[in-house]
Amino acid sequence: MKRNAILFSILVILLLTAFFCDLFVGNAHISIRETWAALWGSSGDTITDEIVRNYRMPKALTSILAGASLSVAGLLMQTLFRNPLAGPDVLGVSAGAGLGVALLTMLNGSFLYPIISTLGSMAQVIAAIAGAALTLLLILFVSSRINDSITILVLGMIFGYVASAAVTILQSFADPDSLKVFVTWTFGSTSNVTWNKMPIMAGIVIIGILSSFFLQKNLNSLLLGEHYASTVGLNIKSIRIVLITITALVTGTITAFTGPIAFVGVVIPHFARALFGTVNHRIVIPATLLSGGILMIICDIISQVTISNRTLPINAVTALFGAPMIIWIVLKRKKL
Amino acid sequence: MKRLQIKNNITALFFGIFVFLIIGCTGKQKSSNSSSESQPHSFTAIKYAKGFRIEHFDGYTRLTILNPWNNWTPYQTYNLYKTNGDKLPSEGTNLKIPLESIVVNTFAYFDFLEQLGQIDKITGITDGFRVYNPNILRRIAKDSIADLGDPFKMNLEKTLTLKPNAILTSAYAQRDQYSERLVQAGIPVIYNLEWMENSPLARAEWIKMIAVFFDKEADADRIFDQIEKRYLKVKEKVGGVEKKYSVMAGDNFQGTWYVPGGRSFNACLFRDANLNYYYEDDHNSGSIGLDIETILTQFGKADYWFGCTADSYEELNEKDPKYKLLKSVKDKHVFNNKNRVTPSGGNDFFESAIANPDLILSDFIKAVYPALLPQYHFTYIKPLKTDNAL
Repeated sequence: MKRNAILFSILVILLLTAFFCDLFVGNAHISIRETWAALWGSSGDTITDEIVRNYRMPKALTSILAGASLSVAGLLMQTLFRNPLAGPDVLGVSAGAGLGVALLTMLNGSFLYPIISTLGSMAQVIAAIAGAALTLLLILFVSSRINDSITILVLGMIFGYVASAAVTILQSFADPDSLKVFVTWTFGSTSNVTWNKMPIMAGIVIIGILSSFFLQKNLNSLLLGEHYASTVGLNIKSIRIVLITITALVTGTITAFTGPIAFVGVVIPHFARALFGTVNHRIVIPATLLSGGILMIICDIISQVTISNRTLPINAVTALFGAPMIIWIVLKRKKL
Repeated sequence: MKRLQIKNNITALFFGIFVFLIIGCTGKQKSSNSSSESQPHSFTAIKYAKGFRIEHFDGYTRLTILNPWNNWTPYQTYNLYKTNGDKLPSEGTNLKIPLESIVVNTFAYFDFLEQLGQIDKITGITDGFRVYNPNILRRIAKDSIADLGDPFKMNLEKTLTLKPNAILTSAYAQRDQYSERLVQAGIPVIYNLEWMENSPLARAEWIKMIAVFFDKEADADRIFDQIEKRYLKVKEKVGGVEKKYSVMAGDNFQGTWYVPGGRSFNACLFRDANLNYYYEDDHNSGSIGLDIETILTQFGKADYWFGCTADSYEELNEKDPKYKLLKSVKDKHVFNNKNRVTPSGGNDFFESAIANPDLILSDFIKAVYPALLPQYHFTYIKPLKTDNAL
């Protein structure tokens, strides 16, 4: 118990340190003192204030929210499907969001333009949420008909493949400029979320994360197998629908605001279980939440590095720099 | 029954959130319709371009960028004034001119600014490695111009620290979040839609648009008149010639061959160069994606091929021996756009050709009717190197 308390304290300290590092690091040369002044009052320069308060701050918060919520969503899916490879995108929700954005990008110059143009950059978010919502409805429909988690998992993946195929077809018809706009979205970006978009994203994601805390007991029962869980009085079908809805809501929202972010959701739950040496969700959920936030914010710091004046896409950084960190830990512990 | 209720409740919740999102997001948008009580005292004459208009009022000049995706309604309005305290309308972006510094996120304007003597006002660009303009390259090397990275994903922090008076960027149907962020930070964004014009003279006329920001309207009018005169003079040379040659354009990109639509800038150049083009009656202003079989059927007998990406016939043969089936390849009438390039990928065809449409037209005419322009040397295009492979 004491060990857990120490580990949690370390994770919280790491998260806070990484958060402040993310605020201090960027492409504009702003000293730590200026950043600090801009955070709590004014640095005396409006552009510095703008960068720190309205650019770096929401970006750092988005990183934490994205990392934490995608990791928790991944954990829910791994527990529900009892599959170590499951992640937040197994339901095809990210691919559905991608299809929404692809459709919007390719249809933008069409008769729909007057509607799309009034939405500004929110059009992309709404298109992604609509795509994710549609996939969720399909999955819920399937879940109400089929009483086998593995079949639902396979169908979810098939939905994902169909959405990706539709995106590929749209891409092949697109003009080069629309294609570039779409491809840029697939790179992922934590800087898309401005303060006026933050309440919507944070609101949905925090509701999703909090509701997973209330499901700890049910999740622990699921670990023993669906058959056992149903004998102890768990309504498998209801809990499955609740878990799928939470995951789809969180993943769909994050993907809509930041673009797809791979890797974090699959790996962090394993890391959290290994770090605390338990599968008990009372420990694993907060551990996953904190570790996901930390990894994502470290990746955000790394993605500020410019190579030939270009910054790295966050979607690539998560796997490229996250993987060696995780492999190192696995090698040290000899197992996950 | 209970389960069904849970499911319905969740679905209702999700849709509730979705509807809330849409309502929440649409409510905050400002209306872009502009109305003015006063009348302009004069207009700048625009002969070819459809995408902007310039009106002069007492104390300020109003530039309106028009929206090609929405029946040429205003896309953005700028009220440009020279002295503080002038009475300005409440709608549109108010901007003091002449600008002292500008970030340029489009290669097409380097030559416009050079011709207007304003190239030294550029403090930031994107995709520095793809620049051809020697003046810009020199200033990047001296660090007096910052490279802000990917044009579709500009480095916002670096851009903000430059504190430019304005940013010139290409507008797309979809408003991008980078421009929104810059406007929020108080940096005006000048939207450029020159690329949506479908004739070379219309695109060149956008020099008048950028000139108003530097108070160089008279210079721009004079420069454009010269461009127009030169272009029409070259066009006249093929006026009396029998139209007997046909042309193919574009190249294969991972299985898809993009050719210019009939209403595109390139198709207009082909018409003006007295060339037959398969898609000349097509109504597309962008590009059309075709497969190799369609290309062989529609363009197999075309006499000339412009816009090839290869450097030599040998390279063409290595890429795909099917190219040899094309008449233009058999006749060795293939040209690429790589006459003025830098080792890192800069190509003047994408920069100064916009401001010099007479030269690009001369290139095509020289390639097909060399006797009409005996003294002229290719500016942007280049015949593929011949060898013994074919």
